[in-house]
Amino acid sequence: MFKKFTPEEVTGQNQVKASVQRKIRQSIADEYPDLEPLLEDMLPKKAPLIVAKCQNHINLVVVNNVPLFFNVRDGPYMPTLRLLHQYPGIMKMFRVDRGAIKFVLAGANIMCPGLTSAGGALDEEVSADAPVAIMAEGKQHALAIGYTKMSAQDIKSINKGIGVDNMHYLNDGLWKTLHLD
Amino acid sequence: MAVKLQPLEVLYCPVCSLPAEYCEFGPDFEKCKPWLIKNAPELYPDLVKGENKWSWMCIFLHSSGTTSDVKKDEEVKRLPGGKVKKKEKPEVIVEKIVRNKRKCVTIIKGLDMFGIKLSDASKKLGKKFASGASVVKGPTEKDQIDVQGDIMYDLAEFITETWQNVPESAIYFIEDGRKVPAMG
Ligand SMILES: [Zn+2]
Repeated sequence: MFKKFTPEEVTGQNQVKASVQRKIRQSIADEYPDLEPLLEDMLPKKAPLIVAKCQNHINLVVVNNVPLFFNVRDGPYMPTLRLLHQYPGIMKMFRVDRGAIKFVLAGANIMCPGLTSAGGALDEEVSADAPVAIMAEGKQHALAIGYTKMSAQDIKSINKGIGVDNMHYLNDGLWKTLHLD
Repeated sequence: MAVKLQPLEVLYCPVCSLPAEYCEFGPDFEKCKPWLIKNAPELYPDLVKGENKWSWMCIFLHSSGTTSDVKKDEEVKRLPGGKVKKKEKPEVIVEKIVRNKRKCVTIIKGLDMFGIKLSDASKKLGKKFASGASVVKGPTEKDQIDVQGDIMYDLAEFITETWQNVPESAIYFIEDGRKVPAMG
């Protein structure tokens, strides 16, 4: 999704109204309850909260020029990888085997067998259409943020095709966008 | 009141920008190598083996951060944007303590270094092993989890399955006062 993303792709940046800011904060808190106590520091009420609109209906939530979250249309907010690396416990996790790492880092979606093989792992509570952190065999940190196409149970039983859409991965355009001016 | 999570410090490679452990999958691993040998030798033991004895020693001193000579050297050779601060390597330490003869407690330290909330972890451990688990302040003021009973042997598997960001290689047992890797 952010494979070729650059800041030039942003079609508009708007400081949102207080009511919208509250709504964004609330949906982030609902999705990631462990983050709630940090949201006052992360998305301060007083600092302007910017929503940057990008191609393909992607929105970035930006504070002090730093992209922190993104979503598609009015889907759930997902943290950027840099933010997730700081707070890895906030998202449910899947793990791909070592063989899948290079494909994920090339932007490929995550295929079921990469998650069900010996090096992979699934959190069985994850449903379809849910944000999930993609970890990797032998690595400590997440390499991608995904959005499930199937539930963990289905990934296991069907075991073919795309299980998780690759939304954002290490070294994609969003990763390279440390600041949005 | 909810607990505020502490941000985890991640070692990013200044050459390719990825977490150092992913350099091997980055755009140009060769270019990252000199920085990795200096700053993250534990992640790439094979790279370090390729170096001569002298640099081995430097790395050793360097990571224990004792001599000023090595520090100076580091300052000269540091890459622009290179991270200076040495990060404590995250690891999970499991120790069994026998209290009043047959009563036994398994102590788990370090899960917080992987961004895991100890209160959640203690709940999960209590449920899994059907026993009392609680978060307590350890002797070094660091929080740890105490679980009633001897659960050492199922523990490593449970930890790596529940928290997939904890590699088995980071789990150690204390046996007869010695630290032994859980793996193998
Ligand atoms: Zn690198």
